[in-house]
Amino acid sequence: MKKNDRMSSLVWLLLALYICTESMRLPWGAWRDPGPGFLPLGSGIILGILSGIAYLKASMSKSPEAKGSWYSKERWKNLVVVVVALFAYAIFLEILGFLLATFLLLIFLFRGIEPQKWVVSIGGSALASFISYAVFELWLKTQLPKGILGF
Amino acid sequence: MDLLSNLQLAFSVIFQPGNLFFCFIGVLIGTLIGVLPGIGPVATISLLLPSTFQITPVSAIIMLAGIYYGAMYGGSTTSILVNIPGEAASVVTCLDGYQMARQGRAGPALGIAAFGSFIAGTLAVIIIMLIAPPLARFALRFGPPEYFTLMFLGLTVLTYLASGSMFKALMMACVGIFLGTIGTDTISGLERFTYRSYTLMDGVGLVPVIMGLFGISEVLLNIEQPMKREIFKTRLSNLFPTLRDWRDSILAIIRGTFIGFFLGILPGGGAVIASFGAYAVEKRISKHPERFGTGAIEGVASPEAANNAASQGAFIPLLTLGIPANVVMAILLGALMIHGIKPGPLLMKQHPDLFWGVIGSMYIGNVMLLILNLPLIGIWVKILKIPYPILFPLILLFCLIGSYSLNNNIVEVMIMILFGIVGYLMKKFEYEGAPLILAFVLSPLLENALRQSLIMSHGSFAIFLTRPISLVFFIVSIFLLVSPLMPGLKKRPKGGDLG
Repeated sequence: MKKNDRMSSLVWLLLALYICTESMRLPWGAWRDPGPGFLPLGSGIILGILSGIAYLKASMSKSPEAKGSWYSKERWKNLVVVVVALFAYAIFLEILGFLLATFLLLIFLFRGIEPQKWVVSIGGSALASFISYAVFELWLKTQLPKGILGF
Repeated sequence: MDLLSNLQLAFSVIFQPGNLFFCFIGVLIGTLIGVLPGIGPVATISLLLPSTFQITPVSAIIMLAGIYYGAMYGGSTTSILVNIPGEAASVVTCLDGYQMARQGRAGPALGIAAFGSFIAGTLAVIIIMLIAPPLARFALRFGPPEYFTLMFLGLTVLTYLASGSMFKALMMACVGIFLGTIGTDTISGLERFTYRSYTLMDGVGLVPVIMGLFGISEVLLNIEQPMKREIFKTRLSNLFPTLRDWRDSILAIIRGTFIGFFLGILPGGGAVIASFGAYAVEKRISKHPERFGTGAIEGVASPEAANNAASQGAFIPLLTLGIPANVVMAILLGALMIHGIKPGPLLMKQHPDLFWGVIGSMYIGNVMLLILNLPLIGIWVKILKIPYPILFPLILLFCLIGSYSLNNNIVEVMIMILFGIVGYLMKKFEYEGAPLILAFVLSPLLENALRQSLIMSHGSFAIFLTRPISLVFFIVSIFLLVSPLMPGLKKRPKGGDLG
């Protein structure tokens, strides 16, 4: 775990640095009347100290290096595919409209990771899109995006 | 009789048809998601939060609460039949429950889990009725310094009980506090870390963060490893435990109830810790500790009672102090605030229907769960057979709709996906999400209490030490923080350590 802990504590250290520099620009206030910069700066400093110590602890630790990688070498592509699909959905949702975008996303997810039969994929996607549309748009009156096609 | 009139109010609220209906929907959904591994009460409650804006606050909280304790029931089913805990709080149930199932005693295991939960739920409601009113009266004496140190204590307890490194949990609490400060500062009106984004001006939304950290990240973790599920083929004809089973487990159920209840009240505690604690106690006091892990019925009864009692006890700090004891309570706090209700010591006076209605609903909810669970176990088992490749796109879809429909804002969907990736990495690098979320929710409350305290004391931190209640909270927090550093003290309990 040494290497993983070193890597992750560095990331948190960077975040702490960012928090501190950004909160310096906010009014810090006085002890008797702390301003908006007070708490962010405080949390940033403590996070910085903690992640600094965590980095040193991981570097000096004598425990043997963990074997194997933290991600799956065979299946990491699944992650990328799903994350890209989700972002694409978010980007195109308001253009395509809820029904179409959802239908396409579901077909993609049913087929893309562990391919289901076409019948299952198309049927399932259509069914799930319509049911969620009925429940959220028609019953609960959530306003789902209509898109350029008007549905 | 105060108690009687409160009881009467409780039942008059819950027996309104609307409330009864939403209570039923809540426990039904709760059991369902409790059965399904990979989607928990946290994600579900955040998903359904927007849809409760249409109904009254009382119905909304009754339904959301039902999801929470319903999930505790459902989680045990998968633990016993498949050795996969549907909920984190049912992890211990696997140890003896699955062994019982392998010996052909799945029926009594499921039965005692349901009856144990029911008995615990009932006892817990009675204890809540007895101790909540005095506690709320006591809390009326709290000023900003007391609230600050109490919240500080809550965060410390959570990091202390964290299953991984306490150090990392503290770091996550800092990140949570920082996330909570994003947005417009309520006191000065200045914007912090917003970069002129309209979405960020209102602060980072709780729902997208939670759904990302607990919903999306869970899916990402699962699709990285092929998930195989084997359902144990067993006949479920005899759900009723025998007389001997009852003799073995009735005391365990009562002990589990009390352990669970008090660990549930503790800020930072909760159902997971309660079930582990109850199991450890049973094993320690048993005359035959070697039977544990080989199908001892007490090993199923006690943790199941404990996690149910804990999930109800957790309502006490929320409803009397306005402080969430765990992540689910944090979302409910958010829900109450969205409905314009400020939880705290005055809640019981200002909204007695809400307070007693929710407590009454827990009782009725427990009856419904018992009825739902025993005859319907066959159906829940069938639902378990839905393969993950079909399930996960639907979970993702729910998260997408949930984060979008809150404010009809696509940026919040992006924030959710982002936190999904963050949550995935946090799991991989062994950082816990719970301290982050609790700190995130408490951050604005914590900041107000801190700033008001310092204004009151003209800038002196001594104000936290000179007021007796606040001093006690402070000493306990400091003790918890430094205790892992002291060599003489026993190792702190860990989530995975069964003793």
